Amino acid sequence: MADRTTMRTSTALRRSFGVAPELRRGLVATLVLAVIGTGLQIVVPVVLQQVIDSEILGSAAVDTASVTRRGLIALGAVVIAMGARYLSLRRLVVSSASGLAQLRVITFRHLHRLSLLDLQSERRGALVARVTSDIETMQQFMEWGGMGMILGFSQVLLAAVVMLFYSWQLSLVVLAGVVIYTLLIVYFQRVLGRAHDRVRERVSDSLAVTGEAISGLQTVRAYGMEDVVKGRVDETLDRQFSAEVRTAILASSLFSSAELFAGALTAVVIGVGVVFGADWGLSAGALVAFLFLVNLLVDPIQRLVETLDQAQSAGAGLRKILAILDTEVLIKDPVGGVELPEHGIGVRFDRVTFAYPGGPDVLHDVSVDVLPGQRVAVVGETGSGKTTFAKLATRLLVPSSGVVEIGGVQIDQVRFGSLRSTVAFVPQEGFLFDGTIAENVAYGRPGVTDADARRAFDDLGLAVWIDSMPDGVRTNVGERGSNLSAGERQLVAITRAWIADPRLLVLDEATSAVDPALEVQIRRAIEYLTEGRTSVTIAHRLATAEASERVLVFDEGAIVEDGSHAALLALDGVYASLHRDWEGAVTSG
Amino acid sequence: MLGGGLRLTWGFVKRRPWSFLVAVTGAILFVSAIVASAVVVGRVTDELIIPVLRDGESTEGKLWPAMALIFAVALWKAFGITLRRSGAGWLQFGTRADARKALIDHQMHLDLAWHDRRSTGDLLSVSEVDTNQGTFVLAPFPYATGSLFLLIGTIVLVALSDIVLGGVILVGLLVILVIDVSGAFRTFGPFVEVQEQRGVVSEIAHESVDGALTVKALGRADEETERFRRASDELRDRLIRVNSMWVGYRAVVESLPSVITIALIVFGAYRVAAGAVTAGDLVTVSYLLSLMTMPISLLGFVIWEMAHSMAAWQRVRGVLDAEDLVEHGDAVAVDSGSGGAVDSSAVTFGYAIDDAVLHDVDIDILGGKTVAIVGPTASGKSTLALLLARLWDPRSGEITLDGRDLRDFARSELAGEVAFVAQESFLFDDTVEGNITLGSDIPRGDVIAAARLAGAERFIDELDYGYDTRIGERGTTLSGGQRQRVALARALVRRPRVLVLDDATSAVDPSVETEILRGLRRSELPSTVVIVAYRRSSIALADEVIYLEDGRVLAQGTHDQLLASTPGYARLLRAYEHDMAERERNREDAHG
Repeated sequence: MADRTTMRTSTALRRSFGVAPELRRGLVATLVLAVIGTGLQIVVPVVLQQVIDSEILGSAAVDTASVTRRGLIALGAVVIAMGARYLSLRRLVVSSASGLAQLRVITFRHLHRLSLLDLQSERRGALVARVTSDIETMQQFMEWGGMGMILGFSQVLLAAVVMLFYSWQLSLVVLAGVVIYTLLIVYFQRVLGRAHDRVRERVSDSLAVTGEAISGLQTVRAYGMEDVVKGRVDETLDRQFSAEVRTAILASSLFSSAELFAGALTAVVIGVGVVFGADWGLSAGALVAFLFLVNLLVDPIQRLVETLDQAQSAGAGLRKILAILDTEVLIKDPVGGVELPEHGIGVRFDRVTFAYPGGPDVLHDVSVDVLPGQRVAVVGETGSGKTTFAKLATRLLVPSSGVVEIGGVQIDQVRFGSLRSTVAFVPQEGFLFDGTIAENVAYGRPGVTDADARRAFDDLGLAVWIDSMPDGVRTNVGERGSNLSAGERQLVAITRAWIADPRLLVLDEATSAVDPALEVQIRRAIEYLTEGRTSVTIAHRLATAEASERVLVFDEGAIVEDGSHAALLALDGVYASLHRDWEGAVTSG
Repeated sequence: MLGGGLRLTWGFVKRRPWSFLVAVTGAILFVSAIVASAVVVGRVTDELIIPVLRDGESTEGKLWPAMALIFAVALWKAFGITLRRSGAGWLQFGTRADARKALIDHQMHLDLAWHDRRSTGDLLSVSEVDTNQGTFVLAPFPYATGSLFLLIGTIVLVALSDIVLGGVILVGLLVILVIDVSGAFRTFGPFVEVQEQRGVVSEIAHESVDGALTVKALGRADEETERFRRASDELRDRLIRVNSMWVGYRAVVESLPSVITIALIVFGAYRVAAGAVTAGDLVTVSYLLSLMTMPISLLGFVIWEMAHSMAAWQRVRGVLDAEDLVEHGDAVAVDSGSGGAVDSSAVTFGYAIDDAVLHDVDIDILGGKTVAIVGPTASGKSTLALLLARLWDPRSGEITLDGRDLRDFARSELAGEVAFVAQESFLFDDTVEGNITLGSDIPRGDVIAAARLAGAERFIDELDYGYDTRIGERGTTLSGGQRQRVALARALVRRPRVLVLDDATSAVDPSVETEILRGLRRSELPSTVVIVAYRRSSIALADEVIYLEDGRVLAQGTHDQLLASTPGYARLLRAYEHDMAERERNREDAHG
């Protein structure tokens, strides 16, 4: 909060109104209804006070008819107040739910536009929190805290106005008191804020340790470390507990001392009123009324400040969401984008360099020309820049400098739709969505039927495999494809690319070992897939490199060798040495 | 539901009676201070304000005592607030911590079959969200209890002065309670639906962001957004439905105290006119009632919270009541310093009741040997490995270590004998060293030796802080192969008598893998090594091969024996070369 670079909550709120206009729709009417509701509630005690004073405590006999009439008036006021209150609350419910739903979808869409750099695994959880828990926090605040603030403010305002009618001098005394009181509470709130930060730290510690205990249970069990883990969890929970209790005690002491201040203020008002009242022309009734008004005024202030605290955390969530929306989209659909030609899709890199922000070059000054129809294998050790090369060729990343061309067109000039229908990228870990195999295949081309999917498996020589699945193409793959083995997931990912029918295929072979029989199927499927297309395959297997027309060898971010398998073997350089390693692993014994 | 909620809350209170007592004492002090402050203001009005301002009397000797009295009551009130809020916090947070500890304790001893049926996210949400929601009622409960005393006292007092007026208040309160209870019932279902839909939205968000690369590569961002929008819109509609109901109830319930007050005055006027009560009594009664507004709405609040707590606590109970505990015998490990012999006889196993993964598995592994388990996909290799480490128990048959059933070992004894390394290595949010020792007291030298044997020494030395580098979720990210090697070092440092490797080096470069496996054979480890292998190089290093197909052991013997005797094994191993040769021919055909 002290950080000057962060956006003020009010600014953030204004911006969110711009992003999600549903949030502020009809806000004025909602406020007016809320004020009417609160205002009429003050009418009730006033009417009752009059009844008591004039009829019941009056010297004459009680006029029951008059009492009944006034009672009915008060009842009418209550009913109208209730209606106004309900309407304003309901409007707030609708506008906050609709507005936040709007904000959630907009943020989600933006997440998908972000560069892969921002979507790296370590940050994913935090990104998802933007559209889940951050929105929830705002939801809670807008529904309860927001309305509390509106009602609180209108109560303070009304009480202050009525006070001025009774005595401006005493009002000044009260005002001075209220200012001090407010400052005091704001200060307390800041002290408390630090305590809350400590609690939050402890909470995230115990969350992390608990999460580990559960997700790492197999390891915990395998090493018999149940007691160690339980000890760790208990320790963090104890620390969390003591931070929480300390904060609770601090909070209650701070707020009860504020109560003391309210008591002191009442005493001062009585003292001042009694001593100077006669000079100011203050009546006894007016002073008594004043005492009630002081309570009416002081009471919401504490709640308002507490709500401000909630507003801060809602604001923090909102700022994080806005920060996502502010993240520049590096990869945009170009305005007036070019269509790729039907034929002759090759890839050309011209002096391309790539580095992650603040990091060293991953690729350095790479120039290469993959001809249409060529089958290229890319090899190199882990970290040599192979995968980065593949992602640049499909515009999943953008170069730091240099130009990537596809089909003779600069890649950032190609219309998105044309690029995605021409080029397919098959990542190492074929990600599957929870659903059937056919649904996952159809992900490559919307509108594909179960029969089409089934035919695709036939075409790729995978009929036997798909038939071995319990429900064929209708087999459910489970969350993230967990019902299938890693190799089987690859088969589905390959079929998905096949059905998309790209003219340029960029494929990152999986590294994890699968059993030989499945591996053979995968490789055959890949061969069918690359047949008749331009293809760039990141090869982790000897056979893939051997089967390609051309091999590009990466080393430390540069292409160091380029030629056919046989030629590179003869060269006896980096490729030949990699080849020896492979061969040793595959055929030894 | 209300009875259940009360029983649940009472159960919590009984376990932490002192904090509850403190909080209730505070609450009673607080509510009585409210009454006292009303009385004091009344006295000050009668004895100071009216005499001075109306009758022009002197303030002499009255002013300071009056102010002191008001301040004293504020002090009393402040003391009550402090006790109440501190006590309630202590009660609520303590009970929540108790519940979380109990959950972890219980889950640590539930078997993996049980864990398999529940997702990690689900269990974490029980531990975090449900314990919180389930104990939340404890925050307002002491206050509500204190208020209840005040309410009952008020009703009795009013009824004593006039039975009709007492009746009016009682009926009014009952109406409020009935509305609150019916509101809690009616919104309960829709509330649960909102929670469910929140889960759906969060699932889609997680899945979609995890699969972002695929979404991008296939240009499906718009469709994903549409999918998310549908779920989000459904959540919006459900939220609007339940919250509209809730604000309707709130608006009615919060207006009712005013209605009761009006009724009291009107009825009271008739009673005064009839001479049944005095005017002063009526004023006192109506004033007391105005003080009741807060406690009344608090009681309603507690009823709603009880309903929500019940629902959440049912999920906590679901975990705590699970009885699928791992059972242990009392056998202890022997420190023989040589590899253990592992046998299985007639082992049958399945993850689901109607589906068997292993049938009648009989294997016989001699101490100190290296054995490879080989078989096609889904033949049961990994399952067998899990059974050998007793991560699951056979449905029938038994697995023995040196002739003793694995189930006879006392808790944590077996872990000292058998070390299991899975393909997916789990790293704790700890240092490299902590991940290898797992909290045991092991000298640094042994840790380094184990890391060397696991082929991890070099990259660990290159990390910023070496063995003290923090890894895991919130630390440095290691590659898959590096993670696997740390996990392997973790197993090796324990010098287990049986080492079970389930494709534990799959992400390591083939040449490095071979080096590691050769190192294991050469080292002085007193281990029997069982390795689920996919690569020929790993199989080649084994003394013996166990070949599985469709959950049955088809053969056990040396590689050469199996090549000769078992066509399936030979086919599997040759599949690779076959295919290579075939392609080689095709290529020659094409060129020729």
